[in-house]
Amino acid sequence: MTEIVIQTHKLSKIFGGLTAVDKVDLTVPEKAIASIIGPNGAGKTTLFNCVSGFYAPEEGDVLFYGKPIQGQATDRICSLGISRTYQNIRLFSQMTAVENILVGQHPRLKGTWWEAVLHNPRYMQEEEKAVGEALHLLEFVGLDGLGDHLARNLPYGAQRRLEIARALANHPKLLMLDEPTAGMNSQETADMTAFIKSLRDNLGITILLIEHDMKVVMDISDQITVLDYGTKIAEGLPKEIQTNQQVIEAYLGPGAAALSKKFQRKKTHDA
Amino acid sequence: MRTTIKNGIRFGAIISVVIIFFHLTGFSVVAANMIGGLFGNVDKNTALAQLPTINLAIVISLIGLIAGGSASKNTKTDSWTNAIVSGTVAGAFSGLFVAVFVYLIGIANFLEVDLRSYLPEIGPDNIDYLLFGGKASANFLYLGLLTISGLAGAAFSKGIIRANWRKQVQADSVQSFNAFIQKPGIQKVFNNKIVVYAFLAAAAFLLYFLPTKWGPYWNFIMGTVGIYILLGLGLNIIVGLSGQLVLGYVAFFAIGAYTFGLLTAPEPHAIGMNFWLAIVFAILAAALTGVLLGLPILNLRGDYLAIVTLGFGEIIRILIKSDMLTDFTNGPSGLSDLVQPKWLGKTFNDVNYFHLTVIFVIIAIFIANRLQYSRTGRAWLAISADQTVARATGINTFKYNLLALALGAAFAGLGGALFASRNQFTGPEDHILMVSINVLCLVIVGGMGSLPGVVVGAFVLKGVPELLRDLENYRLLAFGALLVMMMVMRPEGLWPKGRPEMETLYYRKHPKDSPPDGEVQS
Repeated sequence: MTEIVIQTHKLSKIFGGLTAVDKVDLTVPEKAIASIIGPNGAGKTTLFNCVSGFYAPEEGDVLFYGKPIQGQATDRICSLGISRTYQNIRLFSQMTAVENILVGQHPRLKGTWWEAVLHNPRYMQEEEKAVGEALHLLEFVGLDGLGDHLARNLPYGAQRRLEIARALANHPKLLMLDEPTAGMNSQETADMTAFIKSLRDNLGITILLIEHDMKVVMDISDQITVLDYGTKIAEGLPKEIQTNQQVIEAYLGPGAAALSKKFQRKKTHDA
Repeated sequence: MRTTIKNGIRFGAIISVVIIFFHLTGFSVVAANMIGGLFGNVDKNTALAQLPTINLAIVISLIGLIAGGSASKNTKTDSWTNAIVSGTVAGAFSGLFVAVFVYLIGIANFLEVDLRSYLPEIGPDNIDYLLFGGKASANFLYLGLLTISGLAGAAFSKGIIRANWRKQVQADSVQSFNAFIQKPGIQKVFNNKIVVYAFLAAAAFLLYFLPTKWGPYWNFIMGTVGIYILLGLGLNIIVGLSGQLVLGYVAFFAIGAYTFGLLTAPEPHAIGMNFWLAIVFAILAAALTGVLLGLPILNLRGDYLAIVTLGFGEIIRILIKSDMLTDFTNGPSGLSDLVQPKWLGKTFNDVNYFHLTVIFVIIAIFIANRLQYSRTGRAWLAISADQTVARATGINTFKYNLLALALGAAFAGLGGALFASRNQFTGPEDHILMVSINVLCLVIVGGMGSLPGVVVGAFVLKGVPELLRDLENYRLLAFGALLVMMMVMRPEGLWPKGRPEMETLYYRKHPKDSPPDGEVQS
């Protein structure tokens, strides 16, 4: 049986009077690509932030390989093996691309400040290895040759890839991507989709992502969770979600489901 | 044409304000004296009445040249007519304003109104001089001088400084210089270890022998520069790398100086500790203070942190000065007769002190440099860029902020101890807010987060004011203007930080597509 990487149990997050996430149960098995979708303001990013430690949930548990992690500091959660990217790219803009990845490796490295001053052999070896690994990652995300550019000078698509490379530098067990294809054209989106797939297939990383581009979601997801007004309204395989009435109504408004059924019937009829 | 004239009027107004300001503060007279010193028609004993009026005319014309030049530079279209019109208008307009002004002070002088009760620098003698020896036609002279010099400035700027042929010459020379530098032979010389060592040896030789030649005064000044480099390196770790705006940096300086002082001064405790041991204690005490200060406040960021640390700096100074602690710290009178270092039984003189400072500075630069490019330095930079994300990337921000504060404070502790020992005195007035501001200034002027920037900044902030001694009371005025100009022209600092080219370096060391062993590279 495959292990469960992340599991939330009746997770709730309340801002003032607004319940942004309301008793959400989510289960992501190992080596799955799980997507969270939902209309704007459905609480997707809030759920993300609860899992990655940015918010402490008011209620419920977040279990990482069966161990509760809710309410822990983000640096602690990161060092457990959960990495994430951000909806609006948040790189360390005045550092080079390689340095950004090296910062991503931070939890795995052991060099202390006095070792840095002394340059003892262990430290030097570790640094050398770290840089080598960072460059390897850079090549993996297709940015080789751009390593010495400042992060803020990279083109948009490259910045997204660099952010993923930084997240991967930690050797995460779970990678959380917040709208990885936002603002990309169709070619870039296709590249990114293939890239995310390769992360799972080649590195065996479990992936949890938020995405608005339905083509991407339906293409790569093993499981889809749909949120609306903070509650989970549907969960299942892409096919099941596509025909789920509640989901269609959440996106298109009440009554839309019936219409869509009509269209679908017509479509199959035509075919 | 209308915008051109408007532009000229704008510059004329600005320049006239500058001239009137110079007149009111008496700077014009000082400048005329300096011009005299340059031409040799004035010596130290020349009275104001004997000061040649031609000097004032030169000062005014120089200002007019600048006015015309900058007015013509700011015209929208780059044509000769625009440049000339705008420059002339700027000159004439400033002349008009200044003429009115000198007319007014002339009348005041005539009516024997004593303006000195408002502005001490414009007594009757001064006004006489500013009127070119009390001439009634002085206002026309101003108008004429400024108009002509404005025109000349515009022509000079358009015809020579901004001329295409000059730009071409400049571009050519830059290009040929770059080509020269990039020649393999030249590169070889630069990369040759022997050449590097020779440079280092020459620098060491200079640093060793210069202090014996240039006398105690320059040793003192350069020693201060050295101490400020130490402080700058420390604050650079806190502000430049970890991005915490700490305004009470002087507190750590004070802790260092007072720890050293209390351990070595005969009064009030008579512990009489050895110099070297006391230095170590001063560093440790400052670092400890950094940690203690950091524990409660490091959850604050930005402005709040600045305010709290600002208060902390003042608290330390006021505590030292307070009656409550007089028995412990000697209060406002400070600590004197601090111990001086001994080496092989010889007490240090000013030259030895300078050498000691240089050694400490080199060690500090060495440490700061290695920290900057380490895992720790990267963590600091990440925190300064985005604390939330840095934390989510696995960096314990609290720990690293605290570390930055402790290490930065340690540098200040060393600087404080050295400062106190050299002066053989330290009192509460050595540790005023101005020290914090100065150090922050030098970090910003040099370029945030840049080590060479700190060194350059310290020289500019502590060295240049000494070079401006000729300006007497106007030293700080001129210095302030210089700072403003520098920040306008180089907002990133004089020597902005660069990041290491890790990819290039790594692949130079481990070539990517190196052919398998045994194969010959074609």
